[in-house]
Amino acid sequence: MNILIYGTVNSIIFALVAVGFTLVYGVSRLPNFAHGALYVLVGFLTWSMVNDFKLFYPFAILISLGISSLLGALIYRLVLIRLRGLPTSEIIASFAVGLIILEGLRLQGIGGFKGFIGPFYVLPSFIDAKIKIAGVLIDAQRLIVMLGGLAVVVSIWLFTHHTKTGLSLRAIAQDEQAAMMLGIDSDRAAIISLSIGSALAGLAAVIILPLGNVTAEAGYRILINALAVCIIGGLGSWAGAVLASFVLGFAMIISTALFGSVWESVVLVGAIILILIFKPSGLLGKQKELEERV
Amino acid sequence: MGEGIFLQVKGITKSFGGVMAVKDMSFEIARGEILGVIGPNGSGKTTLVNLITGFVKPDSGEVFFKHKKITGLPPHKIADLGVTRTFQIMRPYHSLPAFKNLIVPLNSPRIRRTRGGKLGDKDGVAIDILEEIGFERDAYVPYKIASSLPLGYLKRLELARCLALKPEVVICDEIFSGLSMSEISTMVPLIEKLQMEGMTIMMIEHRLRELFRLVNRVMVMNFGEKLAEGVPEEVMENKEVREAYLGTEAALC
Repeated sequence: MNILIYGTVNSIIFALVAVGFTLVYGVSRLPNFAHGALYVLVGFLTWSMVNDFKLFYPFAILISLGISSLLGALIYRLVLIRLRGLPTSEIIASFAVGLIILEGLRLQGIGGFKGFIGPFYVLPSFIDAKIKIAGVLIDAQRLIVMLGGLAVVVSIWLFTHHTKTGLSLRAIAQDEQAAMMLGIDSDRAAIISLSIGSALAGLAAVIILPLGNVTAEAGYRILINALAVCIIGGLGSWAGAVLASFVLGFAMIISTALFGSVWESVVLVGAIILILIFKPSGLLGKQKELEERV
Repeated sequence: MGEGIFLQVKGITKSFGGVMAVKDMSFEIARGEILGVIGPNGSGKTTLVNLITGFVKPDSGEVFFKHKKITGLPPHKIADLGVTRTFQIMRPYHSLPAFKNLIVPLNSPRIRRTRGGKLGDKDGVAIDILEEIGFERDAYVPYKIASSLPLGYLKRLELARCLALKPEVVICDEIFSGLSMSEISTMVPLIEKLQMEGMTIMMIEHRLRELFRLVNRVMVMNFGEKLAEGVPEEVMENKEVREAYLGTEAALC
């Protein structure tokens, strides 16, 4: 029972982290390697607004998410737009933006800025309580993670399937050239996808971070987690990302329960290696189909 | 032509590496005209389409639509002005129902402008357009997922999707290719009807007999250059054309 509940929570954490990355990649074929940095940035922004500026917590969250989605749009408008179609450069440039954000957060001494170093930064839980489900004690924040994850996945589905913008994003995702010929601006779609994706990174941060500390180093781990999920699920496939989150989430919890927590990262990387050997396009990836079409 | 010039291409040139794909091409299309473009494989026809619609930037030369320069504009801007195209290989949105494919262009800024913002029931409009172009409403064809449609319908869907944008110029890139004679014979009247309604059409085609029934003028390309231009009978009398396009002394169809 323990494994089931904590496995689910862990899986949803993976899904939350990865869904923004997948959305951007799925729509615009842009690998946003600043994803982890945006995640951490939102954590610190929220912390800072609550503690330094004494803002009301939900308000601080909303502002941070706004900033994060704006940053996503700016990353495209200022950096990635110049590199469209050069995948390696897109990766390097977005990773560089991520590095600037993450290392900037650790910078000390400029204008009295102390740098976010050390384990002192904790976001408060939304509700401080523990609940018993089927004999397992679970804190309310983990429940919120579950519900939040579910809400995010459902609302993305609704957005992409039942709104005008969502439909044009899907059109771009399926065939960029055809969509352009029908009057859809692919740059606009990329900006929208990046700002939604970045806001999702931030949303994941504010939902997940109350479970632990906010540290700049987490940015790298989050990026790797998102990448792992996307590679295993099939790049750009949303259903694949959700599926892969559950595979990874449970694999990690089970391996921890059986062999100890040192094996966590082995499972993560091992899963990537296995999938690359046996099904390089990912669980639900479509890369293969593309090759066949050509 | 003068007044009637609708789409004008002036000295357009494009090379890929050392290969001259399109070399100093100039031509005009009048409003409401159907221009056929023919030529052997690799003669630069599709590159020409890509140049006009903005997918490929020319090395030199200009394209004018209604006397406005459109070279250098991105494809969605050109589509927004009213010049759109079909693709040689059909590219429907496979996972969407056929009629949903038309919602994409129906949401475009161009439609918002031309129809004055009010479109009401978009699904209904989409299905009406599909019916006009030969999708049987009663057979629920418009509701089928695009990837499950047979080729003949896909070709028509491709055209319908362009028409949903209410374009003024449609460029059809080999819209007959891969179709059976009976499928083509249903397509031909559709295109005739489009012309009657005032559409300006440029058709890239290999099926000469059907093409010649439709077009006002035909232009022959070879090695990226214009070889001849004129009414079909005249052009086909041209010895150079016969040699380049059909091989020496080959029978016409």
